[in-house]
Amino acid sequence: MNKVININFQGRILPIEEQAYELLKEYIESLRIYFANEEGRDEIINDIECRVAELCDDKLKKGAVCMNESTIQLIIASIGRPADFEAQDGFEQASTSNHSQSNYTHNEQTGGESIRPKHLYRDEQNKVLGGVCSGIANYFNVEPIVIRILWIFLIGVNILAYLILWIAVPSSSIKEVGGVRKRLFRDIENKIIGGVCAGLSKYFGLRVGIVRLLFLIPFIRFVFNFRHLHLFQFWDNVNFPNILDITFSPGAVFVYIILWLVLPEAKTSADKLEMVGEKVDLNSIKNTIQSDMEGFSKRAQSWGSEFYKKDKSNYSNTTNNDGTETSFDARMDQPNVAPSKSKGLFYFVGRIITIAVKVFVYFIIGIVGFGVLAALFALGVAGTSLLPLKGFLLEDGLQSAAFIGAILFFVWVPIIAIVTAIIRKIAGYKKSNIWVRTSFVSLWVLGWVCVFYFFSSLGNSFSKHNIPVEQTVTLTNAKVDFLEVTMFPRMKYYEEPFFNITPLSSFNAEDTIFVRNLKIRIVQSKTDSFEVNVVKLTNGKTIQEANQLANAINFNVNQMDSLLSLDKGIVISKTNKFRNQHVIMTIAVPVGKRIKISNKNWQQVNIKINSTSIRTETMNGIRDGWYDEWNENWDGASYPFEIGVEYKMTSNGLSLIKPAKDGPMKGDNQIKDKQEDSLKDLKEEREQLEKNNEKGKDRGNIGLNTIGVKKELVKKTIHFFDLHWVLDRFTY
Amino acid sequence: MIHSTKYPLALCSKVIIMDIQNTQSQMRKGVLEFCILSIIQKGEVYPSDIVEQMKAANLHILEGTLYPLLTRLKNAGLLNYRWVESVSGPPRKYFVLTEEGNQAYEVLLKTWNEMTGAVNQLTQNNQDHTESIVA
Repeated sequence: MNKVININFQGRILPIEEQAYELLKEYIESLRIYFANEEGRDEIINDIECRVAELCDDKLKKGAVCMNESTIQLIIASIGRPADFEAQDGFEQASTSNHSQSNYTHNEQTGGESIRPKHLYRDEQNKVLGGVCSGIANYFNVEPIVIRILWIFLIGVNILAYLILWIAVPSSSIKEVGGVRKRLFRDIENKIIGGVCAGLSKYFGLRVGIVRLLFLIPFIRFVFNFRHLHLFQFWDNVNFPNILDITFSPGAVFVYIILWLVLPEAKTSADKLEMVGEKVDLNSIKNTIQSDMEGFSKRAQSWGSEFYKKDKSNYSNTTNNDGTETSFDARMDQPNVAPSKSKGLFYFVGRIITIAVKVFVYFIIGIVGFGVLAALFALGVAGTSLLPLKGFLLEDGLQSAAFIGAILFFVWVPIIAIVTAIIRKIAGYKKSNIWVRTSFVSLWVLGWVCVFYFFSSLGNSFSKHNIPVEQTVTLTNAKVDFLEVTMFPRMKYYEEPFFNITPLSSFNAEDTIFVRNLKIRIVQSKTDSFEVNVVKLTNGKTIQEANQLANAINFNVNQMDSLLSLDKGIVISKTNKFRNQHVIMTIAVPVGKRIKISNKNWQQVNIKINSTSIRTETMNGIRDGWYDEWNENWDGASYPFEIGVEYKMTSNGLSLIKPAKDGPMKGDNQIKDKQEDSLKDLKEEREQLEKNNEKGKDRGNIGLNTIGVKKELVKKTIHFFDLHWVLDRFTY
Repeated sequence: MIHSTKYPLALCSKVIIMDIQNTQSQMRKGVLEFCILSIIQKGEVYPSDIVEQMKAANLHILEGTLYPLLTRLKNAGLLNYRWVESVSGPPRKYFVLTEEGNQAYEVLLKTWNEMTGAVNQLTQNNQDHTESIVA
């Protein structure tokens, strides 16, 4: 509430605020002094007064109630102050101001501009909040968006730095009119490093020590929190209510450097005078910021209404992410659409809070969107890299095409769409081609269709189960004392597991893969010999197909004395596709005999112990259709079976003979294990060959002494097995 | 425009640069009166109009500089003015050239043409010279 007086100015009545009147009086007086020696001084003063009156009249006609301080300031600035006459010799710095003018008004011509404007101004025409970043961008001749992104990354949501620059850096509108109010300089005379703090202190009227302390606080804090070396303050400042964190982030360094670069030094006495200048009080700051904020709120409203309109038109066809974003924006902008007429400090604070909340929400949306994008990208990469395996799982034709289509349209298209949308938003292109948008959306819908078809047809392929048939494996010698179950040492190649995604485990040849879906059940034998039964199970589209596939499962079991060798895995080829083939092998161990499973390569081998008879539940279950191989119903004890450990079958079940070595080391270097395993296989083979040689030699030499030979053989094999066991120790 | 005060330069080059600024300022000051005379010569104008035309020609001038100049010219007899009442706002001064003013304008125009011719010739020669060296 300011006092307004009426003055008689050039024959007209002019309502003017008291403070503004003082200003005007001062100005006229300064002119008098300046033109004291000029011939025709009175006429000049009169002319200038006339001009002032004319400008005031314009303002009043445009709807101002009275002349206020800022308007008078502008008018005075436009006509010019004595200091300006002196400094500029009649012309403004023609070339520099020219170029700076064109810089401000045409943002397109950024390249090729070698002449920099002399001062840092805030850009009124191209501003988002206060034009600070735009002004800095103009000063350095870069795009404003670059400065904005840099600001966010370097300084975070550092309100204090922005506020300082907002208040202190004059706006470009003043530059156009020609004069300048109190200006921010670097004080060279009182400088320690660059005079930035000294200049700031002169501008705000604070003590130098205080400003320096403000700049140093983040350093101290930074040094003490050395371990939390945050490169991106942005993430830290997301804990919003902590004011200290927001204002005193280490970004103060960058603020200092920027100010050092852009602020001019106070060289002439005029500069120094301006540096100290009139008092910058709350009122003038408030006025500037208020007018800027009003502009910003208007812009925000126009954005909001834009989004709202866009949202309405796009409601039928937007992608999921876009849809949620824009509708959310529309909802967010609703409360801001109604313009608030009240002006005052609370309005100003409220606006800041609104904007801060809005910015925060935008960031959260950004993070969520980024997470979604990352997930989609991971999915896309995984899907694309699985393409070579497609032949083993999918039938050719429509199913396979649906898979490709699903990956392409469902996953990659939204990724591309989102990325281009983000880039477009950042670069500020308002128009988005309607064709591009509809094509993206339609491709994505096609992707959905592909996905649905793919999953349904795949499910169909696995829908039926084959009729399981239990096959007995004839053992060459069923009455051994000890049976060790291991893998066929036939395969010599070096395994390199590509990925161990269950149930696939390794690539070997180009057109076959192996699946290690094996379940071993150990039960008590009713006779005194070992029994091994094998059941092959698979799924398929029809029962017939499943039966065929089951027959095609080639799972060999071979016994060589105490060694029960199994096939490495179930072969899956492109003709016998993967349909969850697995094998349940039942080993019946007679009481008093020992068993050990020593193949550690079967990570998927599921070993369950059941002391009672095995057949009935499984078979009944399969026949009746409720057989769920993954969760079997056991009655009787079942306890974890450790691989590589020897068990003995007693009348009550299995019992541990040898203690476990070093605990289960499953998580170890699996690749190393596999390497050592294959090396071990080679060793075994070599030993076996040696053994065979010896066998042959023995046979040749001691023809009839087969028992002796056998004994020796048994000895040797036992010895070998001991070696095996020793090797196990080191390689398990 | 090199910011001599921003980047540390040798003292002598600083002096040289200041001289250049002074020279430029002198060049502009020299043509200022002539420009104003040429504007007024085209027709009757009032001061803010003069400022606009100068701005359009990329020569910015402050009104506070213009008024003293106009007064000086008027006192020297080169200009005349009349008051025109305007419907909106206070009456304005409309300036015209006097007979002497017209003469002065002609003389200055001739001088300007001669000078620009001479300077162009000199600079042209320089450019040719550098071109021949480069080629």
